[in-house]
Amino acid sequence: MELSRVEIITNNSKIEALKNAMGKYGITGMTITQVLGCGVQFGTQEYEVEPKKEPNLLPKDLVMLVLPTKDVPAFLEFVKEELYTGHIGDGKIFVSAVTNAIRVRTGEDGLDALFQNEL
Amino acid sequence: MTEKKLGLPSVVATGVGVVVATSCLISLGIGSSAIGMTFIISMVIAGILNILFALSVSELNALMPNLTGGLAQYTLACMGPFVTIIVMVGGYLLCNTIVGSAECAMFGNTIASVLPDIPIPGNYYSVALIIILMITNLNGVDVFAKIQNVVTYTLIGSLVIMGLLGFFKLGTGDVIAQPMVLSTNFTDVTALCGLAFFLFVGSEYIVPISNQVQNARRNVPLGLIITLALVFAMETLLVFGFHNYTAWADLSASTTPHILYGTLLLGNFGTIWMALVSICAVTGVINTIISSLAYIADGMAKINLMPKVFMKTNKKGAPYVGILVIGGIMAIINATGLSTTSQLSFLILTGVVFWMVAYIVTHLNVLVLRRRLPKAPRTFKVPFGPVIPIVGSLGIVWMIYNISSDPVTRLNIYMLCGLIFAALTVYSVIWVKKVMKLDLFKPIPLKKVMAMENDLYHVYHNPKTGDHVPQLEK
Repeated sequence: MELSRVEIITNNSKIEALKNAMGKYGITGMTITQVLGCGVQFGTQEYEVEPKKEPNLLPKDLVMLVLPTKDVPAFLEFVKEELYTGHIGDGKIFVSAVTNAIRVRTGEDGLDALFQNEL
Repeated sequence: MTEKKLGLPSVVATGVGVVVATSCLISLGIGSSAIGMTFIISMVIAGILNILFALSVSELNALMPNLTGGLAQYTLACMGPFVTIIVMVGGYLLCNTIVGSAECAMFGNTIASVLPDIPIPGNYYSVALIIILMITNLNGVDVFAKIQNVVTYTLIGSLVIMGLLGFFKLGTGDVIAQPMVLSTNFTDVTALCGLAFFLFVGSEYIVPISNQVQNARRNVPLGLIITLALVFAMETLLVFGFHNYTAWADLSASTTPHILYGTLLLGNFGTIWMALVSICAVTGVINTIISSLAYIADGMAKINLMPKVFMKTNKKGAPYVGILVIGGIMAIINATGLSTTSQLSFLILTGVVFWMVAYIVTHLNVLVLRRRLPKAPRTFKVPFGPVIPIVGSLGIVWMIYNISSDPVTRLNIYMLCGLIFAALTVYSVIWVKKVMKLDLFKPIPLKKVMAMENDLYHVYHNPKTGDHVPQLEK
């Protein structure tokens, strides 16, 4: 089964609600990193008058998870609705292919490495 | 982050509170006495059109959530400032201030009729009620919600009980035998659809308070639908009750048909109970109108469609300028006795036409945003593509055509609408061109409209004065 990596960059203030919602959705594993970054606005806040000329890095959270490729479209719809406020800064989502995943303790790989088992 | 204070019960209370007004109870009596039980068909048609509108509002709220002004922001992002000012000032601020004033007058008259031994004119009671509700609204949204919950659930409970008593013929009064239906002519049914429409308008008042609602994504659309379903159920029960206890002719002749029903159902106790229901209805309506219009004015000021002074809030977070201005105007109208003139009911119908135009614009806003932002996430989307907004718009056009069954009255309403439109056009053109310095029909980018909801936007855009004058970019 093919695997995909989904990386979500969003505001720190949304991460708690997103984490809880993903738990309810059925996501069993995720990695969250505090990062600095900016998008096409170069970090300009929506209320500012002039757009910034140079990149201004803002504190964000990066959520990374791997899931079966067939589940990605539904998951993306869920995340988009969860993060949406209509304001600049709602976030970005990146999807990329994963060639393999390995659970070090058991040596399982592929999909088996992502879900709980009896081993 | 602002604490969300309103749950689903408060959302429904806000909706029902503004929809079920004393004038609705009177309109229900007028409609029922005209054609009998077939008036329920008119109510079904009007109710369905209002549900279609609620669906469109829910989608707009999902796409542009937590906005103070609601329809003003949606329209500004879709059709530009000119249409927004016409719709919001004509359809909401003007129309509802008049409707609210008339409601207060009915409240004063009801109290004066229940307490005939006390020599106090009815408008004194009206003004006192307005002042009390202004003071409570100045204390913030949680006080508004507490009052709204108490009066609305008293209203709902009373109307449901009185409706059930009438439906099952359990009243202490005499059950009468009369035909169920006075007319089965479909033309008669459609002619009363405009009147029936008035029984449901106002549920969208939920939107301006959506940023105070817990889990607004779920509770706002659900609240809209529950409100309309509840109103329909209550009013249908009352129509059955009318049939069982009040002769159609007596109902038609009465200026307060709902009080007549209470009296014939339960005697003097019913009179007092229905008077209490009227008081709850008017309190709910005025409370919501003062609160929501103040928030709408606040939201319009944020997007520069109204003077900046409407954005000012007190320590409790209440938009006090809007509360004082709107409440003050209603108090003046009542104090001067203008609200008791026969012309006022005619003005209400004229205002309702603008209100209906606002509904059409809302449906069109959905279609515009579907085209402009087809991929934007919508936690609620009206099903069946563009069908529902189109059907809803056409239905409301049909309602406007049926605003009055009398062709002369209808023509006069249209003429007055034309005059008000001309006056609003002058205001709108001057305001948009001279103050906003924008194109009349150029929509404001959605991200800009959303950003203007942020208080910092107004501070950043006026660094010298630090006040709240928003400046839109061309």
